Amino acid sequence: MSDADDATFLAGLQAHVGATGTAVASRDAVNEPMIRHWCDAMEDANPNYTDPEHASGGPHGALAAPPTMLNAWTMLGNIPRILDPNDPQGGVNAKLDAAGYVGVVATNSEHVYKRYLHPGDLLTSKQKLVEVSEEKQTGLGIGHFVTTETEYYDQTGEHVGSMFFRILKFRPGTGRPAAATAGGVERPKRPRPSSNPDSEWFWEGCRERELRVQTFSDGTTVYPPMVRNPRTGEMPDTPAWQVSSGRGSLYSYAIPHHPQVPAFDYPLVVGLVELEEGVRVVSNVVDCTPAQVEVGMPLEVCWLQADDDVVLPQFRPARPERRTTTRTFDEVTVGEKLPLCPIPITPTLIVSAAIASRDYQAVHHDRDDAHNKGSKDIFMNILTSSGLSGRYINDWAGPDAVFKNLKLRLGAPNYPYDTMTLSGSVTNKEIVDGEGIVTIAYQGLNSLGAHVTGTADIALPLVALARS
Amino acid sequence: MSITNNAGTTNYAGTTAIAGIGATAFTKDSGRTPMQLAVEACVLACEDAGLDPSRVDGMVTFSAEQNPEIEVARNLGIKELKHFSMIHHGGGAACGTIAQAAMAVASGQADYVLAYRAFNERSWHRFGTGVQANPAGAEASATQYAWTSPFGLLTPASWVAMFATRYMHEYGATSLDFGRVAVADRKHAATNPKAHFYQRPVTLEDHQNSRWIVEPLHLLDCCQESDGGQAILVTTLERAKDLKGVPAVIAGAAQGVAEDQHMMRSYFRDSITGIPEMGLCARQLWAQSGLTTADIQAAIFYDHFSPLVLPQIEEFGFCERGEAKDFIADGAIELGGRLPINTHGGQLGEAYIHGMNGIAEAVRLVRGTSVNQVPGAENIIVTAGTAVPTSALIIQKYR
Repeated sequence: MSDADDATFLAGLQAHVGATGTAVASRDAVNEPMIRHWCDAMEDANPNYTDPEHASGGPHGALAAPPTMLNAWTMLGNIPRILDPNDPQGGVNAKLDAAGYVGVVATNSEHVYKRYLHPGDLLTSKQKLVEVSEEKQTGLGIGHFVTTETEYYDQTGEHVGSMFFRILKFRPGTGRPAAATAGGVERPKRPRPSSNPDSEWFWEGCRERELRVQTFSDGTTVYPPMVRNPRTGEMPDTPAWQVSSGRGSLYSYAIPHHPQVPAFDYPLVVGLVELEEGVRVVSNVVDCTPAQVEVGMPLEVCWLQADDDVVLPQFRPARPERRTTTRTFDEVTVGEKLPLCPIPITPTLIVSAAIASRDYQAVHHDRDDAHNKGSKDIFMNILTSSGLSGRYINDWAGPDAVFKNLKLRLGAPNYPYDTMTLSGSVTNKEIVDGEGIVTIAYQGLNSLGAHVTGTADIALPLVALARS
Repeated sequence: MSITNNAGTTNYAGTTAIAGIGATAFTKDSGRTPMQLAVEACVLACEDAGLDPSRVDGMVTFSAEQNPEIEVARNLGIKELKHFSMIHHGGGAACGTIAQAAMAVASGQADYVLAYRAFNERSWHRFGTGVQANPAGAEASATQYAWTSPFGLLTPASWVAMFATRYMHEYGATSLDFGRVAVADRKHAATNPKAHFYQRPVTLEDHQNSRWIVEPLHLLDCCQESDGGQAILVTTLERAKDLKGVPAVIAGAAQGVAEDQHMMRSYFRDSITGIPEMGLCARQLWAQSGLTTADIQAAIFYDHFSPLVLPQIEEFGFCERGEAKDFIADGAIELGGRLPINTHGGQLGEAYIHGMNGIAEAVRLVRGTSVNQVPGAENIIVTAGTAVPTSALIIQKYR
């Protein structure tokens, strides 16, 4: 297209800005099965969402839907998409699709919650187109950002929430080339652990994804393996072991920078991990940045297939326990850090959470379609990123924390077989209209960079809620 | 002759001496073979003592040494070698060579024993590259690496860094505290013409700005890689008195391996912030010599990596555990301080000859010939490699 054509095209897109679409009624009322699907997919165990009895004593007075489901309720689902020509986003999307900008990714989502939704609430949404950007070169491709604002109302007309949302419509195949990879050159393998019958059982265990710790009959655990228990003189013919829980904490660490050996990714964190079984093992601390590593951090084992027949134990931050009581406003201090929380990005998580959020975009479940749209694999949808962010903060704050908003911006995609590790900190706390509002800044990093960066305001009880 | 050793736990402490020291130039590229370096160092040590090299009848070196003693002996013209031994575990062997030489001459097995170490460890095989592939084989000497190498813990710096992080965590020490060791060493090297870093002192800022090698170790926390050779001639004090120079008395000489010892990776003990094998050496030295910390005027603490100098100060009892950072804060380890260390510049500043050059500096201090002489130097501690099975000496001025 010529510059003049470009200007005309852009003017045509921007003609829709400011227009409000017709109200869209949700197909289904807020309902328990969809809530449970969502909680299952997100591994969200907050009983206020699934246990009516428990919920009745909580801040919502009854069973509530996770707040981050807000825009799931009005998603179209897997039905033929009939674009309303009067719908501003629909109109823009149709023009962009026709011009080859068929790729779509969501980049920003900002929810504001007036109240939590309950089973039986029937939502209606009204969407307003607020911006269509000029054509931009992005990592994914050349495209336009399309920004909307949506207001949500219940069956009585009560305004229950709103959403600021931005997507990128792009031309597949026009992205910046990925960093050159060493095509055809096989990466050197890590140094192979050599073994003999005194230690082979340990490496055999690793191949079974079992972290084995040698034990003697007096209950002593040792590492590295020994052939004799010096305390008792026991000298077994074959070593005995127990399978470690895989949980431990970081006793010390080193971060090699030089020399760099091609078999390893740098920065490399080598940790000395103290296992629950009382022994220390040397391993790598993965799925977090060196700056996030600190002595004492809780860790859990994961595994690295280092060679065809070599599996090595690795350790990542342990998923924090879900709090069952709720922090009070006074218990929280500004600057306080939330514990790191790794989330393995499995195809199951991506697909089940996309479907639980009623998002049938094929790029979230169909690898061929994702390839055709210029993506290396299926990737996590933004509702899942929201849901997981909400779960992370909720699990730290306690079940009765009440979300006032959740804002996030997406960056590096969450592709299968990566791990996203969430981190966060308290950046503000203040009393607003009699409520104790705490602001959390959070981030989810994967191997490609920051997948999600955001903030949330939550209300914490001023005094501990008395619950049986 | 006055031997202050009344503790009398050995027959060699106070009755044996270093009669000669000899070293090649310390460089980054000797342009010569390690064998040439070894032989030159040994000849110079004999010349220093005024002894014909052919009269040497004992040799001790490191199992890491690549110049076999029989080849060195051929070149020295030795006709009868009656004691020869090798000590394992890298730099931990340094003072152990003197201990075994002293035992050999005290027992009468040999009369004149040369301890030596020589290599092109910068221009030939670089030590700093560590173990990048696991040694082949299924013996324990190879399988021990399986617990660390597959995880990228491949170099001496990385092995030591694990101790340093924990030490910082438990005692509140910081990188600046490690930096003070580097600053002291380089200050002393700056006035030692034999030092690689002659006239090149560093500041704490330089230390902090130097690149990471293995966090928490900066470049300036790490010793050099050097080419060079050092030899030490040991004999009985009685024989030494008949030789050319003034004897340097071996008032104590000890080796140490402590419980659950591993090669630079003793990570599995209840505590990893001390150096129990060095504490074992210290206790032996105090018992052998009858001396205390109050009798020590200077120390040559093995400094392959600066963080492990701090717990050595603690293991010898110059301060309480965890308080070395306070002990060194006011310049105590610099020339003029309460306990000057590594007056030759140490292995950070002079050269890395696996600790052997530090023994020579202790001899110079009690002879009164160090370029950084400590006034009134009577008793000097020397230590060998840390985190490995190790050894230590007290070298005493002869009166």
